[in-house]
Amino acid sequence: MSLNFSPVPFDLAAGFTHWLVIMVAVLALSFVLAIVISMLTLGFAGPVEVVVHSAGAFSDFLGTSPRRCLALTTLTFREAVRRKTLWVFAVFAVLFLFAGWFMSEATPDPDLQVKNYVSFVLRTINWLILPVVLLLACWGIPDDIKVRSLHTVVTKPVRRHEVVLGRIFGFAAIGGLVLVIMSAIGYVWINRQLPQAKGAQLIARVPVYGEINFLDNEGKPTKEGINVGDEVMFRSFIEGNTKARAIWNFSNLDPSRFEGQGRLVLESSFQSFRSHKGNIERQLMCQFTLINPKTKLRVPLKAFEVHEFRRNVYDVLAQNKTLQDEDGNSVELLKDIIQDGKLQVETACLSSAQYLGMAKPDLFVRLPDRSFAASYFKSITTIGLMMTMVVVLGVVSGCFVKGPVATMLTAFVVVVGKVAHSFLQSLVTGNVSYNPNVKMQGSGLFDSIYRIPTHLNPMVEIDNKLVGRVVSTLDNIELNALWAVQHMFPDFASFDTTEYVANGFDVPWAEALLPSLAITVGYCLPWILVGYFSLRLRELEAK
Amino acid sequence: MSSEVVIQTRNLTKIYRDFWGRKKVRALNSLSLDVMRGEVFGLLGPNGSGKTTTLKLLLGLLFPTEGDVTILGRPASDVTKNERIGYLPEESYLYRFLNAEETLDFYGRLFKMPANVRRDRTKKLIERVGLTHARRRHVKEYSKGMTRRIGLAQALINEPDLILLDEPTSGLDPLGSRDMKDMIVKLRDEGKTVVMCSHLLADVQDVCDRIAILDGGELKVLGKVQDLLKDQGVTQIKTSRLADNVVKEVEAVLARHGAQVLEVDHPTTNLEDLFVKTVRESAARPGQRYVAPALPASTAT
Amino acid sequence: MNHLTSQQRKWLYVAGIVVLLVPIIYLGMPPEPATARSGEISGGKLAELRLKDKLGESALGNVDPASSTMGLLLLGFRGIATSILWMDWQDQQRNKDWAALRATTESIILLQPHFLKVWHYQGWNLAYNVSAEWDAVADRYYWVKEGIKFFKKGRERNDKYAELYWYVGDTTGKKIGRSDEWKQFRRFYRSDPDVARFEGRPDPEVNPNGRDNYLEARDWFQRANETIDSSGNLEHIMAIYLFRAYPMRAEFDYAGTMQREGIFDEVCIEAWKTAFDDWTTKYGIMEFDCPIGSIHFEVTGDELDQMIAEEDAQNLTERDRKSYWIGNYQNQTNYRFWRLKSRVESEKEMAEAHREMYEGEQALHRADTAVARKLLWDGMSKYEKILEEYSDLKKEDETIDEALLALHGWRECVELDDEEIPDAYPLKEFWDLNPKRRETAKEEFNRRRRGR
Repeated sequence: MSLNFSPVPFDLAAGFTHWLVIMVAVLALSFVLAIVISMLTLGFAGPVEVVVHSAGAFSDFLGTSPRRCLALTTLTFREAVRRKTLWVFAVFAVLFLFAGWFMSEATPDPDLQVKNYVSFVLRTINWLILPVVLLLACWGIPDDIKVRSLHTVVTKPVRRHEVVLGRIFGFAAIGGLVLVIMSAIGYVWINRQLPQAKGAQLIARVPVYGEINFLDNEGKPTKEGINVGDEVMFRSFIEGNTKARAIWNFSNLDPSRFEGQGRLVLESSFQSFRSHKGNIERQLMCQFTLINPKTKLRVPLKAFEVHEFRRNVYDVLAQNKTLQDEDGNSVELLKDIIQDGKLQVETACLSSAQYLGMAKPDLFVRLPDRSFAASYFKSITTIGLMMTMVVVLGVVSGCFVKGPVATMLTAFVVVVGKVAHSFLQSLVTGNVSYNPNVKMQGSGLFDSIYRIPTHLNPMVEIDNKLVGRVVSTLDNIELNALWAVQHMFPDFASFDTTEYVANGFDVPWAEALLPSLAITVGYCLPWILVGYFSLRLRELEAK
Repeated sequence: MSSEVVIQTRNLTKIYRDFWGRKKVRALNSLSLDVMRGEVFGLLGPNGSGKTTTLKLLLGLLFPTEGDVTILGRPASDVTKNERIGYLPEESYLYRFLNAEETLDFYGRLFKMPANVRRDRTKKLIERVGLTHARRRHVKEYSKGMTRRIGLAQALINEPDLILLDEPTSGLDPLGSRDMKDMIVKLRDEGKTVVMCSHLLADVQDVCDRIAILDGGELKVLGKVQDLLKDQGVTQIKTSRLADNVVKEVEAVLARHGAQVLEVDHPTTNLEDLFVKTVRESAARPGQRYVAPALPASTAT
Repeated sequence: MNHLTSQQRKWLYVAGIVVLLVPIIYLGMPPEPATARSGEISGGKLAELRLKDKLGESALGNVDPASSTMGLLLLGFRGIATSILWMDWQDQQRNKDWAALRATTESIILLQPHFLKVWHYQGWNLAYNVSAEWDAVADRYYWVKEGIKFFKKGRERNDKYAELYWYVGDTTGKKIGRSDEWKQFRRFYRSDPDVARFEGRPDPEVNPNGRDNYLEARDWFQRANETIDSSGNLEHIMAIYLFRAYPMRAEFDYAGTMQREGIFDEVCIEAWKTAFDDWTTKYGIMEFDCPIGSIHFEVTGDELDQMIAEEDAQNLTERDRKSYWIGNYQNQTNYRFWRLKSRVESEKEMAEAHREMYEGEQALHRADTAVARKLLWDGMSKYEKILEEYSDLKKEDETIDEALLALHGWRECVELDDEEIPDAYPLKEFWDLNPKRRETAKEEFNRRRRGR
């Protein structure tokens, strides 16, 4: 599993509030801006116009007719099919024909092989479908305007946003069809290429994650463990045979969902780091201690060897004949240890002067597996959502610029959102290190502009209080502006659930599906509004 | 024709601007006119005189720089007015990958129209414009004339009260042109209002009740066609064929009353009438053709 | 032209096409795939020239259709694609995403199939760096195998270049035979830890003959040498006289490692004997160019005189110069040491000495003091006797270390028997002359005792 794989549940309420704030702010801002601009161009009649148009927009949206949208959707779909869009399958088929050449020799390790095949299929689908829908969506409305077929449509009682919606739905439908067929081919291909992996590796594990805390060598709570020199600070290490511990707090366990009536299965993937060679034929030893967080009852479990970069599955009841607390009294797992769905798992390294590295997702309670097909098609769903985003973006940009420009614009937003979103985020938050806890030192644009000519070291505070305040205010404004710009680019990377499927995880609802859905809806609504106004306020005749 | 005003423009002005907002072309200047229910109104003028601009302003495809438009009692920017309007654009801007039936069905679905009504109307309209044989062919394979016909059919899909036709006969052969004009007259007879613009005088003359002549964006002439065409200084007498002596006698009578005889000749039909007659006759009696008299020996090149 | 009918014009075009095709076919016809491999001349003029000047892809090794297709598909963007892949690859290594890394490596060599440094870098990285990241020895071995397999694949694609043959040999020999995990690796080499897949047999892709890793390595080194001779493409790893020595060096390693593992029987002696023979009769007579002409290493004074005589019998300085260069090159290749060492080691007496000292130490670790003391004494005596004969070996680190280890063992036996160390005992000079080394030898002695 790659290091930076750390699923975080999506907080829908917080996300929605966040979105609402931005939406209201943007709407208010554009309204004010519209009034100012209309005043400048039309005089006092301007604001009246703005109000009239806004009211018109409102009534237009109220008058949305599913029938008209459907008519436009059908039209779009039919047109796309008759334009032989489906030829993209040919490309897809060719890719899969040759894929065998590229992959057969790669690696015989079944875990790694499954990972490569699954990511290959999902990535290929992803990267093939995007250009197709991008081109379709970006050229749809500009083409309509250019050959004026839109004239015939808008002189019917069609609301402008219905044109936008019809196009979006139509292209999304054709993209969806392509996606469904591609994914079905991909699914069959994976199963045929990896017959031996069926059941063993082609699975969807369902993890329940906890929160992680550390104790240092002396048993004092600490934020993180030791860094053993990895460039990427993802896992923290605890030293063996000391009081160093990593403690996971699980807060919402439901024993009835456990494997076979209440069997607790812990799966871990720790990293080993040796400060001396030790016995190279044996792996480092690790021990779990189950703790009831309420009663502080501690139940040490049998130690096990850590197999690095592998899935270490620990079935608590199978590997411990009896569960005993530290005083040797017998206890029951579900009665005495897991209480109100809460459980603490304390992890210790037993090999002295050796280290075990761990991060939050490295230990989880494993619920019964779901089928690979479920996680695969859930992942396809997120691809579908991303495709929808691209369609919306393409159609909307086609409402205000011509085809080629719309294509470039959309492609730009997609590429930035896919590749550089985290980079943008790091610019805004000033967090450019691999370690999420380390903030970049230094100052903002205006601060630097002041410091460079005055030869002031960034560590020294600015003497002049007034200048200091002005500079930091300006920097804040600039950062906030950057923050706003960053939010214009949807995080397309969060639609990529390939990692889950490839690593044999179920695609979770709260961590992956819900955020994708929320992002899609959250971005699409304002964009559709933009498309509507672009079409409404635009003289379709004007060249 | 009633006295109800269907279209009203007041001081309608359109100025096209360039990229920098500088005024470029004054396409329409202070146009004020009323169109009454039930009439066929013609907008006449040379290319670039502002006819199409006027139509597009009426439809809300363009926004006026100054002035107002009221159409069917509503502002031009109101989409709901389109429920009762049919529009045939200058070129029939249709979806090339649809066939005639799908095209009409598609436009029909944009109106509140139950499926069976839509089906009926589609069938009838296709018959009416004479495209039954080609109803399953994609529009992209249509000839210009066929495209105009299907264009007219889509304009009538909602049985509109007001029909706006932009150059309805352009690109049509004389026969098609005559069909189109017949249909316009028929629409008027059904009580619909038709506004058409054209630069073909004959078309306008044939079907329009009233015309407006535009030039350089300005309204030059407005009125009833008969009134406008009547030359009060000339009297034309049409009779059946007269013998030469009778003609002499008539000339003498006229001379007695002090009228000067300008010309005495047999009246001709216009070219369009002749063409139509010929084609119709040829359809009625296939195989008949014109045989030229013997020509002098050819000096072949 | 207008007096031609449309049909005549078409025929004219056809004729034109045919006329133009003639030079194109003459120049550009691709060679027959079958003959291209064998080096026969076929195809058009360009193909012929390509073959003659070794510019065709097949001159470099096997042509991989997937690789050529990729190159074609990417049009002019191969360079960019490669750079992106290399960056991805670095990210994946940093993130320890081994599956992706392995796949990316595969893609990189698909785009750069004849870039020897890429093969070297990536193969090394798999066998050494990636393998070191894994904790379990079996996992490490898996990645060493991946490295070897990678080199082997590179060798197939570039089979006219000696380098990749050598890398296969080097990894098979050195990485398996000399890393920290050499004991396990050598065992795994003959019996793969992936029992489910190989049922206790070796992985046929890395060890098709089920042999010792050094013997396999020797053959790869040998093939590297043969490739230089057959293709005429020089290697660029090291000086040629060092490179040529590698098959025999692998034989030394083979024999020496057997001793490290406590095998002192006929097989071992025979291995040393073969090594000596090959060293002196194969390597020793190879001709190498030096600034004053051609020399070889296995040379007696008489031969030297004879060599000079052929050129300039009267010129004494010539003799000096020649012997200077031979000596110089011999030093660089450690020629004399290995000659001596393999000769001594192939003597029964020496094997006995090694065995007795080794087994003595083992007995001591088993706390069998009486046996240990006798074995060690005997071994040390024999060792001293041989060393008197070949005193050049006395200076060698290996010799000193072995002696000191045995001495530590023997002295412990004496002390355990509550006796004083006598004034005279075998190998005493080693003990007296190397006080500092004694300490490190003691540490090694203790480590070996623990590691038993």
